[in-house]
Amino acid sequence: MQVDRLGGGGLIDRTKTLNFTFNGRPYRGFEGDTLASALLANGVRLTARSFKYHRPRGIVGSGVEEPSTLVELMGEDASGNRPVTTVPLREGLVAKSVNCWPSPEFDIGAVNQLFARFIPAGFYYKTFKWPNWHLYEPSIRKAAGLAGAPVEAPKSGHFENRYAHCDLLIAGAGPAGLMAALAAGRAGQRVMLIDEGMQAGGSLLNRNLTIEGKPAMDWVATTVCELDAMPNVTQLQNATVWGYREHNFVMVNERAPEHPSILERNWRVRAARVLCSTGAIERTLVFGNNDRPGVMLASAIQAYVNRYAVRPGKRAVIFTNNNSAYGVAADMAAAGIDIAAIIDSRETVPDAARAAVPKQEILSGHVVYSTHGGRLVKAVSVMPSNGGATRRIACDLLAVSGGWNPAVHLWSQSRGTLAYDEALSTFRPDTPVQNAISAGAANGDLTLADALRSGAEAGAGGGKTPEIPASDDLPYAVEPIWRVEQARGKAFLDMQNDVSVDDVHLALREGYDNVEHVKRYTTGGMGIDQGKVGNINIIGTVAIQKGLPLDEVGTTTFRAPYTPVSFGAIGGIREGSVSLPYRHTPITAWNLANGAFMYESGARWRRPGYFPRTGEGFQDAVNRECRAVRNDVGVYDGSPLGTFELKGRDVDKFLDHLYTNIMSTLKPGRARYGLMLSDDGLVADDGVALRLSKDRWIISTSTGHADAMNAHMEEILQTEFPDYNVFITTVTSQWNNVTICGPKAREVMEALGTAIDISPETLPFMAFADGHVAGIPARIVRVSFTGELSFEVNVAPRDLLALWEMTLEVGAPFGIAPIGSEANHVLRVEKGFLSLGHEVDGPIDPYDLGLGWAMSKKKADYFGKRSVALRRDGTTNRRELVGVIPEPDRMIPEGAPLTPGGERKATEGFVTACVYSTVHDRWVGLALLENGHSRHGETVHVRLNEGVIPARVTPPIHYDPEGERLRS
Amino acid sequence: MTYDAKIDRLPIFALFDLKGPQEALSKWAKDTPAFPKGPNKLTHKASATLCHIGPRRWLLRDDLENEATWSASLNPEEAPADISIVRVSDTQTFFRITGPDASEVMSIGCTLDLHPAVFADDAVSYTEFFGCKALVLRCEHGFDCAVEQSFGNMIKDFLNRATA
Amino acid sequence: MMNIPCPFCGPRNEAEFAFGGPVKPHRPDPNAVSEVEWTQYITTVPNPLGPVEERWWHVKGCGTWLTIWRDTRTHDIVEGPGDAG
Ligand SMILES: [Zn+2]
Repeated sequence: MQVDRLGGGGLIDRTKTLNFTFNGRPYRGFEGDTLASALLANGVRLTARSFKYHRPRGIVGSGVEEPSTLVELMGEDASGNRPVTTVPLREGLVAKSVNCWPSPEFDIGAVNQLFARFIPAGFYYKTFKWPNWHLYEPSIRKAAGLAGAPVEAPKSGHFENRYAHCDLLIAGAGPAGLMAALAAGRAGQRVMLIDEGMQAGGSLLNRNLTIEGKPAMDWVATTVCELDAMPNVTQLQNATVWGYREHNFVMVNERAPEHPSILERNWRVRAARVLCSTGAIERTLVFGNNDRPGVMLASAIQAYVNRYAVRPGKRAVIFTNNNSAYGVAADMAAAGIDIAAIIDSRETVPDAARAAVPKQEILSGHVVYSTHGGRLVKAVSVMPSNGGATRRIACDLLAVSGGWNPAVHLWSQSRGTLAYDEALSTFRPDTPVQNAISAGAANGDLTLADALRSGAEAGAGGGKTPEIPASDDLPYAVEPIWRVEQARGKAFLDMQNDVSVDDVHLALREGYDNVEHVKRYTTGGMGIDQGKVGNINIIGTVAIQKGLPLDEVGTTTFRAPYTPVSFGAIGGIREGSVSLPYRHTPITAWNLANGAFMYESGARWRRPGYFPRTGEGFQDAVNRECRAVRNDVGVYDGSPLGTFELKGRDVDKFLDHLYTNIMSTLKPGRARYGLMLSDDGLVADDGVALRLSKDRWIISTSTGHADAMNAHMEEILQTEFPDYNVFITTVTSQWNNVTICGPKAREVMEALGTAIDISPETLPFMAFADGHVAGIPARIVRVSFTGELSFEVNVAPRDLLALWEMTLEVGAPFGIAPIGSEANHVLRVEKGFLSLGHEVDGPIDPYDLGLGWAMSKKKADYFGKRSVALRRDGTTNRRELVGVIPEPDRMIPEGAPLTPGGERKATEGFVTACVYSTVHDRWVGLALLENGHSRHGETVHVRLNEGVIPARVTPPIHYDPEGERLRS
Repeated sequence: MTYDAKIDRLPIFALFDLKGPQEALSKWAKDTPAFPKGPNKLTHKASATLCHIGPRRWLLRDDLENEATWSASLNPEEAPADISIVRVSDTQTFFRITGPDASEVMSIGCTLDLHPAVFADDAVSYTEFFGCKALVLRCEHGFDCAVEQSFGNMIKDFLNRATA
Repeated sequence: MMNIPCPFCGPRNEAEFAFGGPVKPHRPDPNAVSEVEWTQYITTVPNPLGPVEERWWHVKGCGTWLTIWRDTRTHDIVEGPGDAG
């Protein structure tokens, strides 16, 4: 039974009954209800327990300001900690209160009320600090009772991100926002009109006002219709502008896009101009037991009565310090609510306010100082502000209105300043910093006529202002009251976090007297509602206590999000296969079909690690692949290597500056290994340069450094040497390659068939030639990353798969095996070839790596030359690259420290790599060791948790030190 | 389908990267469409499109069947020292997104303002698409969008998810 | 998300750019300066609270390396001392 549903009126559809469940009990509401209005219609008044003390709580607000009742939605749209007032009712909705178990009526945590005086502000900070707050946090959160995150992703759809651009973004489709949209839309501007409600209208939805002599909602409907017809206007409802970033970049969370498979959409909008027409939020009043169920914001009651046709009580008291509550009183009376009294803290009530409720008893100069009752307010205690006889008035509803605060959150996020307005006794927008404006109640224009006018002017932006329709409204006047001095019982400033006046006083006594410190120490304003109804009272309480005016106390910083945004909406579709960027070469499908174990191996490339055969483990597969290369022939896809074509008259000069060794002497058709340093002497990259002709080159970089080297080269050319004639074109994905390596590589090449003379005499090591291989246009390059005879066959990606499959086919008689990056790693460690991620870190220079030969003495200058000289000057005990042979034979983990004698002393180096060498049939490694070059033959010690491992120091080349095989 | 849009992964185009002073390039590259008048603009001639994609930088696109003809005519190997011509046909994977909702699909991945008043028929630009560098231009009823070839599979995944 | 003006493309989303750090003085001839001067060039990076001249690379756009003056307190792109008038 919807016992408190009014017989008529409201913006609900009484023909559509919706069934829902709250805390396990079934109820009914109507289409157009929120969960809050439906609960109130069903007479449900106790809806929550408070966060810290587990005090009984009810519904206080009607929108995003709701500080009291949070619910958890179950099932398909599972989500936690939703203000009950922002949940649209739908058929089958299942919700429960947070903060209480098993129900708000019978709540085990309520024993906390008995200990309330032992849980003051800062209690958690003082109590749970050793050894670490994080140890306590999970159980405290659980006791606090906030809902957990949903355990699985929704099945019914996905989240989406979208970029947008507009001339004017309007936050809030109330009277000001709608007028602004009309003005800008008619002028042909690209407008986005964003509103957090289910339908446009803002405060007009909740109030009984007229525009042009007709119900204001008629004007809203006409306006929405006109805007709808404009192709240059985008209207979003149930969408919140939740973040305002630098350069007018604005975030919008659209909670129910029209596409059924999109759960939520997050818009990232670049707006030339932003209008904050975000309305105003009524503030609560601070007196004893002001949190009891049945104490509600006056404006919320107005919304329930007018918009939802709900009567939240039968006999009401109204407590106010301003005029707006008188309009509410009139609406309440019209809905049949008996108004016992209006308590106005002002000594003189303006005639205009009195005129709204002509026959009503008004106790001016009075305050409510406490409420009575258990799970519902039963009476209030009232007394004159200046002292005197108290009076108890029975009621089941207390409407409170502490005046209005412009919703300046978005404005403040834009870094616009605020000024304290004495007449309105609140902070309102002052000076913009970005291209932002504010209008309507958000600007402190608190009557309808002012809102319509300021919205129209803001939207026109200096252009033609549309005609302002005539409207009626009560003039606004307020006298601030930040707390009732005579309060008896806990007087809450922040209901959601259970922060009372006493807590703020305690914080101030303990020295936390900056408003930001008060916030953090008491947690006031740090709840999900971000203190929308109560923060100003905290500021007021601090001001009274410190004897300062409010503008000197100032506000805390307003941060995004304005209201909670689900993580899914922020993440968009980035999950699973697209959570990180990844890259593929054209033979990925082949690799997967052939059982390759694929993983990311630098610069987002997915590469095969190894190709296990049936029943083969990791080490067996890698050993087999290594043996194939050392004894017969192996083949791998070397495509991800960074590759650049350089062209121009000054490439010689440029490369000589870029590399440590001389490149300009290289002849066309030949290749040269080169080393690149950053100008502070760090090893930046190494690679091979190929000279195609006098002024055309191809250079390669390591896979992981390709982007960084590209940036480096372009920066130098554009900023340091703008007069150099050099053009760089990235061709990493124009030249893929199949690299055939091993003693039988030449036989496989011949089997593939090529007219290029690949004899060692004509095409020696570090030479290349263009032609065809297996009928495919190709460039053969004689480089080797494995230490074996090696042919890098470069082709266009369109031909890679064909060449790859042919290579395996014709190579089969020679025992060819595809090899992955794991075997490649073993083979390069055996050869002592550098891997930038392993052997190179900050302090290491080319001399330490045994690459002193690459540091040109002839060139006067190149990147890093001076810095390396400077760093080496006077330093002793450099860490130098050596080989290590663990004795006894075992694996040493990468990065394992070497200490003198294996004792607990400062390290003298570390193991950079350790692999199982199939040619030696044992583990071998590389290490960086202090003065390592002069310590070959010594025994050093690896210090591990499990014990000390001795290792013999050797030269860093474990295999074919003369390089005969790779030259063959 | 969330969106009324068709997504095709296109076969590769013939692509040539042209760099250098416009005067020197136009003297060497004779058969190309006329050099576009401004930054991030394009011109057409028959099936070929010439895009001005950076300072002293153009991209020539044509059907793959014309690649050999362009290779012979542009002759990268013999081009003068002060200009650079590189065949880059394989470096880009093109997606064609067409249909009534094409711009909505684009807006999920692309940060650029593609409103017709801002990004007209003769517009072209490198920008961002699902986090990758991407070339965007208009085609009939929609957009062509190219990413570095090795990211093609990932962008396909993104587009599948976006339109699921 | 800043909106960075590119001399070729016009204003573009920050995501299209790579940060190149504050602009350092022009690279001196390493053989013509003292150790101290070289070390200072290498290690001293401007880091003011306020406007700083910075390099950004339009890597996902036209490839231009450009400079802007950015106020480190606000992300506002401001006129540099040399830009006025
Ligand atoms: Zn640019």
